[in-house]
Amino acid sequence: MKPALAIHALKFRYSPQPGEARDPWNLSIGALALQPGEQVLLTAGSGRGKSTLLQLIAGLLDPAEGRIEMNGTSIHGLSHAARDRFRGRHVGMIFQTFNLLQGFTALENVEAALLFSDIPAKEHTPRGEALLKSLGITKPHACIENLSVGQQQRVAVARAVAVRPTLVLADEPTASLDPANAAGAMDLIQNACKECGAALLCVSHDPSMASRFPRRVTLEELA
Amino acid sequence: MAMTDFSIVVRSLRTRLFSTVTTALTVAVAVALMLVLLMMRASAADAFSRGGGNMHLLISADASPLTGVLNGVFHANAPPRALSYARYEELAASLPISGNGFAIPTQQGDSFRGLPVVGTTEEFFIKFKPAPGEPWKFTQGQAFQDYFEIVVGAQAAAITGLEVGDSIYLTHGIGTSGSAGTIIKKGSLPPADLHDHDHAHHDHDHDHDAAHEHQDYLFTVSGILAPTGSPHDRAIFSEITSAWILHAHDRRMRENPNVSLTDAADLMPADRLVTGIYVGLTTRDDSAAPAVLPQVFDQLRRDPSITVASPGAEMRTLMTMVSNVDQILLAMAGVVILASAIAIMLALYNSMEQRRRQIAILRVLGASQARIFLLIITEATIVGLLGCVTGLAISLGGARLVASTMHERLGLYISPSLPAREVVLLLLATLTLAAVAGLIPATMAYRTSVARNLRPIA
Repeated sequence: MKPALAIHALKFRYSPQPGEARDPWNLSIGALALQPGEQVLLTAGSGRGKSTLLQLIAGLLDPAEGRIEMNGTSIHGLSHAARDRFRGRHVGMIFQTFNLLQGFTALENVEAALLFSDIPAKEHTPRGEALLKSLGITKPHACIENLSVGQQQRVAVARAVAVRPTLVLADEPTASLDPANAAGAMDLIQNACKECGAALLCVSHDPSMASRFPRRVTLEELA
Repeated sequence: MAMTDFSIVVRSLRTRLFSTVTTALTVAVAVALMLVLLMMRASAADAFSRGGGNMHLLISADASPLTGVLNGVFHANAPPRALSYARYEELAASLPISGNGFAIPTQQGDSFRGLPVVGTTEEFFIKFKPAPGEPWKFTQGQAFQDYFEIVVGAQAAAITGLEVGDSIYLTHGIGTSGSAGTIIKKGSLPPADLHDHDHAHHDHDHDHDAAHEHQDYLFTVSGILAPTGSPHDRAIFSEITSAWILHAHDRRMRENPNVSLTDAADLMPADRLVTGIYVGLTTRDDSAAPAVLPQVFDQLRRDPSITVASPGAEMRTLMTMVSNVDQILLAMAGVVILASAIAIMLALYNSMEQRRRQIAILRVLGASQARIFLLIITEATIVGLLGCVTGLAISLGGARLVASTMHERLGLYISPSLPAREVVLLLLATLTLAAVAGLIPATMAYRTSVARNLRPIA
């Protein structure tokens, strides 16, 4: 079985501003692999490139060197358009501030993820409603602005797993939450990923998260 | 219903409702302006051509053919020069007008409440048709049968409220509209301070060349005409001999203020004046121009004592003369449409800063840059479409208002009609322009940095 995620000799550097000297690598990873359904915690200090790594994995940035594969497909070997389609089908993302579509309802936010997948349109609404219900959202047609923080978190999780992705990337998902809610949020995320069979790569510098994950890596170890 | 690209666009527009509505209204006003101009251009040409009817030529003593048509057909002014009746008879005898042909004399110089009064013969209502193939129709009464009877055009009747049996005094010269022309309703007596017809005037101290009521002669309405869509709707028609009698009486009053009332027997050759001759040459049917028309026209034009005009040709010349103005107005309307497209561009451009996060989110969810680009172009096009539809609705109401005003003020009957081909072209051009207006904002969206715009807001 192919790994859900495989990173080989990855190097990335931001383009220097005019007049600036070329920096050393902003990110350097020798190797990292996640098996299907595996849940891994990635930690590093602030500003060390955790979010950059997630964006590279999602295909939103191009590495200078190295290779990222998902289910055996080299992400950056695809054209930009194909990469976007691939991301829509195989990657779910959860953000610290949720990044939900303002002015849209909870259901519409979930359907937005399904829109860019290859799931037939007639399944979008029933799938979205069922998923939201399973995550405790009883008002799928409520506007995002009218939901509590906890409810918005649930919508964000629902959106990330709606397409039954190969991989879910969670970028500091509990950074904005108090400890009690953070624990509840992580339970939600991990259970949702387990149910849909998605691998989970969670980036966080919260030390309380360590005990939740059977495997923990640091950027320094991976360099 | 599941989310679609279109629903994302619609929701985005609704989220910025004020901006969307005002931008669409800008487009609507521009489109409406252009449509009204197009409608009026098409209709005005048709309206100007209706006055000539089945007349082939107009003979007058006016300074130019165009002036002759404006005075003789559109009743714009009382012609300053006239032909004698004898000259009219001479000309009529020389023309090929047997059978369905005609040479109808007209005399203008009087008015009622600013509306022109045209003296003519009964033949005017029998042989002359205000529009080819459309003879006169009466909604009330009939054509005049005797002196001092008048027939009132549809618009003139609506303005004055005249009905069959009512009586009026005519005003010498073209008075102002709304001036107090006396109407004596059917069955009423004339006001006591006006003159007894059996007695001569004693107190005519006014200038006979200035506008004044001919208070010795009451004219009674014998018929009201149905609308013809021509300038004749605003006119009142009297029997031509009556018109001559009025002016002969003025002449006799100048010679002898104590003179008795004038009748037909008192007319002298100098009193029998004709300001216009409607000529219709003999034809096989109403629609065809007779083969001899160019020859007759050419022959008449060589006579320096008369002015001959082809009403259709003169109207085409007039329309050509004003077409420059027409082109300028259309160009200005085009500029307004361009300005509205810039408004679309600015509205979307200004919204881009607020929407970068939304765009970044859509990209993360799997939307390609090209798809985002097309979403913005679609937004711009939809705003253009809203503007076009609203503009079309506004133009229909606006055209009716303009047509109504032109009918009331100028007597021109304009039927606003949408020239289908031009409308379709205009709408397509506006939509294309709207889409083009979306290019810059769409490019901004295309280049939106996902990483930078997904950072937590501080």
